[in-house]
Amino acid sequence: MNLGTWLDERLDLSGVRHFIAEKGVPVHTQKIWYYLGGMTLFLFGVQIFTGILLLLYYRPSASEAYESVQFIVTQVQFGWLIRNVHSWSANLLIGLAFAHFFSVFFLKSYRKPRELTWLSGILLLFLMLGFGFSGYLLPWDELAYFATKVGTGIAGAVPVVGHFTLRLLRGGDDVTGATLSRFYGLHVAILPAVTTALVALHLLFVQRQGMSVPLSIERKLKPGERLPQMRFFPNYILRDVLAWYVVLAVLAALAAFYPWELGTKADPFAVVPPGIRPEWYFLATFHTLKLLPSHVLGVEGEQLGVMAFGMAAVFLILVPFLDRRASRGEPSRLFTVLAALALVYLVTFTIIGHYAK
Amino acid sequence: MKPAPVERRAPTFARIVAGELRRGGRGARRVLAFCGLCTPWVVGALLLAPRLAAAQTAPAATNTCVACHTTQQDQRVATPAALFSGSDVHRENGFKCADCHGGNPAATDKARAHDPAQQFKGRPAGQAIVGTCARCHSDATFMRGFAPRQRVDQATEYAASVHGQQLAKGDHNVATCASCHGAHGIRRVSDAKSPVFPTNVANTCATCHADTTRMRGYKRPDGSPLPTQQFADFQKSVHYATLTKGHDLAAPTCNDCHGNHGAAPPGVGSVANVCGTCHAIFAQKFASSVHKDIFDKGCVECHSNHAVLKPSDDMLAATGHGVCATCHNADDKADKGAAAAVAMRSDIERLKTGIERSGALIGQIKKAGIEVSDQQLALREAGTKLTLARTEMHAFAPPQVASVVAEGDTIIAAVDKAGQNGVVELRYRRRGLFISLGAILFVVAAIGLKLRQIEQRTKN
Repeated sequence: MNLGTWLDERLDLSGVRHFIAEKGVPVHTQKIWYYLGGMTLFLFGVQIFTGILLLLYYRPSASEAYESVQFIVTQVQFGWLIRNVHSWSANLLIGLAFAHFFSVFFLKSYRKPRELTWLSGILLLFLMLGFGFSGYLLPWDELAYFATKVGTGIAGAVPVVGHFTLRLLRGGDDVTGATLSRFYGLHVAILPAVTTALVALHLLFVQRQGMSVPLSIERKLKPGERLPQMRFFPNYILRDVLAWYVVLAVLAALAAFYPWELGTKADPFAVVPPGIRPEWYFLATFHTLKLLPSHVLGVEGEQLGVMAFGMAAVFLILVPFLDRRASRGEPSRLFTVLAALALVYLVTFTIIGHYAK
Repeated sequence: MKPAPVERRAPTFARIVAGELRRGGRGARRVLAFCGLCTPWVVGALLLAPRLAAAQTAPAATNTCVACHTTQQDQRVATPAALFSGSDVHRENGFKCADCHGGNPAATDKARAHDPAQQFKGRPAGQAIVGTCARCHSDATFMRGFAPRQRVDQATEYAASVHGQQLAKGDHNVATCASCHGAHGIRRVSDAKSPVFPTNVANTCATCHADTTRMRGYKRPDGSPLPTQQFADFQKSVHYATLTKGHDLAAPTCNDCHGNHGAAPPGVGSVANVCGTCHAIFAQKFASSVHKDIFDKGCVECHSNHAVLKPSDDMLAATGHGVCATCHNADDKADKGAAAAVAMRSDIERLKTGIERSGALIGQIKKAGIEVSDQQLALREAGTKLTLARTEMHAFAPPQVASVVAEGDTIIAAVDKAGQNGVVELRYRRRGLFISLGAILFVVAAIGLKLRQIEQRTKN
């Protein structure tokens, strides 16, 4: 008796077997975008695995954090590899999450009946950014320290609840060991728990509703016509695994050839070093806030910027409900233009922010 | 004119009251009635007294000297008044023209204002300037009311200075207080615009000492003419660069070596002591060296005096431009001094080269991502040993330099070893990466083949 039969006798897996046997993935010219979600999921797995390994040696206190990371990369067997993979994987993960987000946005895959899939996906994107922001401080190096000071300062500009949010994030008025403890808790407990639950929900939605066919392709189909299907198992899964291996190869090369530098230890009394900037995925936001005048129509510029970004986030969440044309299966040029503008804005401001002094 | 001290009287009224109260009876009742009548007036007087006193001691609202002098066409009398009316530490502390020049500042006509009977002195000159300034600045009790931490021995120091001695001999060409501090518009020494602020001192001294006409006729103790290129030399020095370009006010200027009020050349035998004020360890090493009794001018023999250039290892050589070559000859095998210079220089160069080589190796592996903060710290420690060796060199004892350099060599050897390990580790990482990539490629190819197989089977 093999394991499958043994389990089947006890759990009756016929439903699962049926699902796997029947599930298909539509085949069309745009199917390449389907793999982005899987690659992001793979990197999330890499993050969990490497994160757990780092936890074995990392010490979350202002006096020991930097030294413990230093110990990991110098003394622990393959510690350097684990840390480099964790750092690079985090960046690739956010990059792929953004790519996945834009592919869904452009292909209008958020339209009815996939509003909840979009909603959970957007929340996951925000959670990934939260992971990036909280994880950046953990090595307690100079750049991360001052960037967190600036970042949490921006959170302080939120109207009404700004000061409360700032104190909540920092655990006081300034970035201290208390901030590190909070960010650590957030990074290794709260965010993983919420993200895992949301990823499960996101995958459940995807599996339940199947892959979305891009609106432009769907509209070309004649009534009753169905796109050719690829079997989910093993055809699609094997392609997905192939993509994962490609990501793994890129990750290994980056980790070996471009190690993530550990700067100097954070010193709260040191002069702010020049060139303080957040991670690349916050650069567009950061640079926009920098360019805003101190006051616009009597409102503080930074506060106005933070409010605008907040409204943009709410808008993103509501996209499936606002784009009525896409819901009806009609072309929705306005939202295509909005997605293009958002992409151009993010890319341009990230590049400008990178080179700005 | 200094304010006169206030005479204190015994409080006899208090004694009377106390006596009557002790005795009791009618006298006491009278005293109490008297007190009842007087108390409101006394309290009122006490409340008003500070204001009245302030009104009495406040500077006169009008100073006819300034009012009259500023309107004069003759700039010789108008400019001092204008300067005094601007930023002047004395005017800001309530002093008036008459406090130095005498006369009657309340008078509205020149004859009464300049009345000799009112101690009008006109423009003090020479010793009178020193005397005028010293009346207040040498009076500790008086100065305590304005600048309690300020020294009050300037006049005594000045009298001991070359300037003061020349003035005592009747030479009115020498500097007095006003020559450096100004006569009117005097600013505090801490004021960056003051001519005696650290960054301005050299310029102020150069006003006279770089003036060949003014210095003509003055001689040094050995009878040679007093030079005038000191300021030009000083401008080439590391001290001047640190003071003016490095904005380090602790860097020495003229008065730090020559004294300010007691200005005089340090004297041949005192040079090492003067330099040692700041360069204490160098002075200590030099004091233990064979050169101490040989070098007449101490530090100046190698480093010059005003044109103290940034020292370099090239100075330590008994050939070419090396300062040792002034007295020693490297070609002379019997010249122990030359041999010592060669030995010390070769030790220092070895450590210097070692630090550079190790630094390059560590930089290379750091760039490739190996954590090297411990090695960087060790390199800094080796750098400290190099500095110590250069310091030790001033004792002119090769074994002492060799001992410090040996400590540096040990550090460098450990860094080199770590660097080599880093290079091995890098090779290992790259080899590991290529093996991993090969394995990944193999799996990718296998999956690709499997997919093709499955899809062909499905088609069939």
